[in-house]
Amino acid sequence: MTRPATWQRDMRGWWRRDPAFRRYLLREATSVAIGGYALMLLAGLGCLAAGPAPWQSWQGLVMSPIGLLLQALVFAAAVIHSVSWFRLMPLTVPPVGRPGRRLGDTAISSAAWVASAVCSLALLGWLVYGA
Amino acid sequence: MTDGDAIRLDVLRWHPDRPAAPWWQSYEVPYRADSTLLEALQTIKDALDGTLTFRWSCRMAICGSCGCMVNGRPELSCHLLLRDLAPGPVRLEPLAHFPVIRDLVIDQQDFLEKLPAVGAYLVPAADAEAAPDTPSRQTPAQMAEYYQYAQCINCLLCYSACPQYGLKPDFLGPAALALMARHDADSRDTGGSARKAARDAESGVWDCTLVGHCTEVCPQGVDPARAINRNKTASARDYVFDLLMPGRRR
Repeated sequence: MTRPATWQRDMRGWWRRDPAFRRYLLREATSVAIGGYALMLLAGLGCLAAGPAPWQSWQGLVMSPIGLLLQALVFAAAVIHSVSWFRLMPLTVPPVGRPGRRLGDTAISSAAWVASAVCSLALLGWLVYGA
Repeated sequence: MTDGDAIRLDVLRWHPDRPAAPWWQSYEVPYRADSTLLEALQTIKDALDGTLTFRWSCRMAICGSCGCMVNGRPELSCHLLLRDLAPGPVRLEPLAHFPVIRDLVIDQQDFLEKLPAVGAYLVPAADAEAAPDTPSRQTPAQMAEYYQYAQCINCLLCYSACPQYGLKPDFLGPAALALMARHDADSRDTGGSARKAARDAESGVWDCTLVGHCTEVCPQGVDPARAINRNKTASARDYVFDLLMPGRRR
């Protein structure tokens, strides 16, 4: 069968077409910031293994104004990342419970927040009192 | 507003006899308090410009024919009141990510070929097939498992809301994958294992990156983002179990 002649717009600049696309790209970009922070911590570990002088220069870099600014940006990215993914989590979890008595979206998201809070507090407690 | 007001519609037009480039055309359309955007298009066709081409049928958001981009968002033109779009102008374009045949009419062929690929039909159990006059009973709770997915009217707004489909036209896409989930979740269906190859393929659930706009634009309250991303979990689970237990029955 012959297909009719058609015209189709290309996808250049597609993210400019809807605010929803920009929100999606922001969410995805936060993982780059978090990945960068993980690399920074890894570099710190490397400096610690290398000796006192590299460790102190790494600490100096981390505590410098630019280092603190970058960490504040990473923290903001981590908040956006967590909020957006915990909100989307019910879409990815298979149905929990029997038909007619399924666990609701709010319960799934809330469980994620509680688990995250417990882990964060446990880590903070260990750093402050246990280490 | 009062009856007798007019609103400007800017329509992106393309015609196969003028294939070089699409062009914008403006129309001043009179409207009443209860006029829909589709009625404005019909007014243009009847009174202002008979060459403007668009699809429509039911006028009540159930046939899924009249989808177009309204101010950049996929909408059913029969589902929008002009008073809500006032003072305008209203920017009308054909549904994004599809080839345009003429003006607001898009080519649906790609979707129509994908529908059979996901097995979007009930496969009854052998005993139900053997006794076709016997009703296949289902409880309200069993029906609730798939009911929202069954509301899909194939209007293709979700495909226009999905940049992944625009970037990767092989992607089966939101509506087809929601209809796959609809049949998988039906207690009367036994066709789940036959649908898994399409589900697990790169062009199946894994081309979705959870932009989530498909669910936001659906006029019927279908949640394709949920259907697809739950099936990613199921696809990953089957992959792991297949690795651990080669030759297992799926």
